[in-house]
Amino acid sequence: MDRTQRPRSVLDSLGEELIGILTPVSICMFTVVLLVCLLNSDPSSSASFSSIATAAYSETDSDSPWDKLLGAFLNSLVFVAAITVATFLLVLLFYLRCVRFLKLYMGFSAFVVLANLGGEISVLLIDRFRLPVDSVTFSILLFNFSVVGVFAVFMSRFSILITQGYLVVIGVLVAYFFTMLPEWTTWVLLVALALYDLAAVLLPVGPLRLLVEMAISRDEDIPALVYEARPVIRDDSRLVQRRVWRDRRSSQNDDDLENNEVVNVVRAEEDEQRSEISVPLIERSRPESSETFLEGIGLGSSGAIKLGLGDFIFYSVLVGRAAMYDLMTVYACYLAIIAGLGVTLMLLSVYQKALPALPVSIMLGVVFYFLARLFLEVFVVQCSSNLVMF
Amino acid sequence: MEEASRSDEPNRNPNTDRSSNPNPLSSIISSAHVWPTIDGPLGLTEEASVDYARRFYKFGFALLPWLWAVNCFYFWPVLRHSRAFPQIRNYVVRSAVGFSVFTSLLLAWALTFSLGGEQLFGPVWDKLVMYNVADRLGLSGLA
Repeated sequence: MDRTQRPRSVLDSLGEELIGILTPVSICMFTVVLLVCLLNSDPSSSASFSSIATAAYSETDSDSPWDKLLGAFLNSLVFVAAITVATFLLVLLFYLRCVRFLKLYMGFSAFVVLANLGGEISVLLIDRFRLPVDSVTFSILLFNFSVVGVFAVFMSRFSILITQGYLVVIGVLVAYFFTMLPEWTTWVLLVALALYDLAAVLLPVGPLRLLVEMAISRDEDIPALVYEARPVIRDDSRLVQRRVWRDRRSSQNDDDLENNEVVNVVRAEEDEQRSEISVPLIERSRPESSETFLEGIGLGSSGAIKLGLGDFIFYSVLVGRAAMYDLMTVYACYLAIIAGLGVTLMLLSVYQKALPALPVSIMLGVVFYFLARLFLEVFVVQCSSNLVMF
Repeated sequence: MEEASRSDEPNRNPNTDRSSNPNPLSSIISSAHVWPTIDGPLGLTEEASVDYARRFYKFGFALLPWLWAVNCFYFWPVLRHSRAFPQIRNYVVRSAVGFSVFTSLLLAWALTFSLGGEQLFGPVWDKLVMYNVADRLGLSGLA
C-alpha cells in the first residue's frame, strides 16, 4: 500500500470513516440500554419470551448452575444450527439467482420487524408511561412508520439518512427482543455466534464466504440488511467515478464491486419461523475498474464501510444484557465493543477483504462484563461507600 | 488501508450537503450544478428524481403522510431553489401541502382525545385508549 500521503489527510479521512460507523453503533447500543432501563423494572419477567433460542431448554430460577449451563449450551447449539441451515439456504437461493425473491423477503421481514416488534415495544412504552394515545392515531402512526421503513429498506435509491435511521431502528428492535432471553443462554449464545461468524466468514467452506465469492464473481449485490456508512469523498477527480459508480445498478459498465454479506438470523416467535436477513460481517466495498487501478492505489477510499445488521444487533444485545445488571458493566462493555470494532476496522484496512465483525468485539465484551461484575464492582462499591471515589 | 489522497484538503461537500443545499462541487463536476436530492452527488439524477417524486406523491395518498414528509425531506434542495426543477417541485410542493393538512387533522384529533379525556367522550374514551385496547387484545404481553 502506498503511504506517501500526508498524515493530516489520513487522519481526516480515517477519522471520518470511523465516526461514520461508530456513531450508528453507539446510537443503537444507547437506545437498547435506554429501553432496557425503562421497560425492565422487574427482572423475573424475562422467562416468558419464547423463541427458537429457548427451544431446547427454558431456564427457570430453581435450576442448578450446571443445569443452566448445559441448557444454555443446548439452546445455543440449536440456534447456531438453525442459522447455519438458513444461511446455506440463502446461499442456495442466491446461487439459483432468485434475487427478486430474496429482496421481497427482505422487505417483508423488515415490515414484520417494524410493525410487529415496533408495535409491541410502543405498546409497552405506552403502558409504562400511561400515555393517553388512542388506537386510531396509534395504528396510523405505526402503519406509516412500517411502510416507509419497507420503502427505505427495499428501494435501492433512497435517502441515505433515512435508510440508515431505519436500519438502526430495526437493529434496536430485534436487539431488545433478544435481550429478553434467559441470562445464561444469552451469554453462551453470544460466544457461540462469535465463533460461528469466525468460521462462516473465514473458512473456505463457510456459507458467508461462499456468498461473498459468488457475489464477486457475478458482480452483483447480495440482497441484505446492511448498514452502509456515507462514503467519504476525498478527491475531486474521484467524483466522476463515484457518480458513475453509484449508478451501477442502472447497468452502466462501471464495474464496481460491492459485496453485501448475508446471514439469516432466525427467530421463532409464537411458533412461527421468521428469518431476517442480517449480516454479522464487515467489509469495505472496492471499485475495481481499470481506471482506478491505473490512477492510484487508493482503492478503498471511494468505497464505504459496510457493517452488517447482525453486528449491530448482537453488540446491542451484549450491552443490553449488561444493562440488566448495572450501568457499570454497560460502560465496561461499551468500551470493550468499541475497542473491538476499532481493531476489526484496522484489520479490514490491512486485509482488504470481508471480515467477521463479531468475534473480537464479543469476546472482549464478554470478558470485560465478567471482569467488571466479579472484580470491578466490589472495588468501586468499597471506594464509594468509603467516599474515596464516586 | 489508508488511501493515497491527492487533494490538499479533504472535500467535505457531501457531509455538509446533508443539511443544506449541495454546494456546487469544486472543479470536476460543472460548478453550477445543483443536485435535486439532499444527498447531493450521491443521490439521484434529475430524471430519476421526477419519477421518484411522483411515485412518493401518489403512494402518500394511501394514508401515508410520513411518506410525503420524507418526500419533502429528500428533495429539500428543490424547495430551496424555487426555480430549479419545475417538474419535481410540482410534486414536492403538493406533498408538503398534503403532509401539513393531514398532520394538522391528526394532531387535532389526537390532542382532543388526550386532553379531553373522559369528560368529553364519556365511556368511549376507555374503549379507545391504547393501553386498554392492548390489554384487551393481549398485545402488551410478550410472546
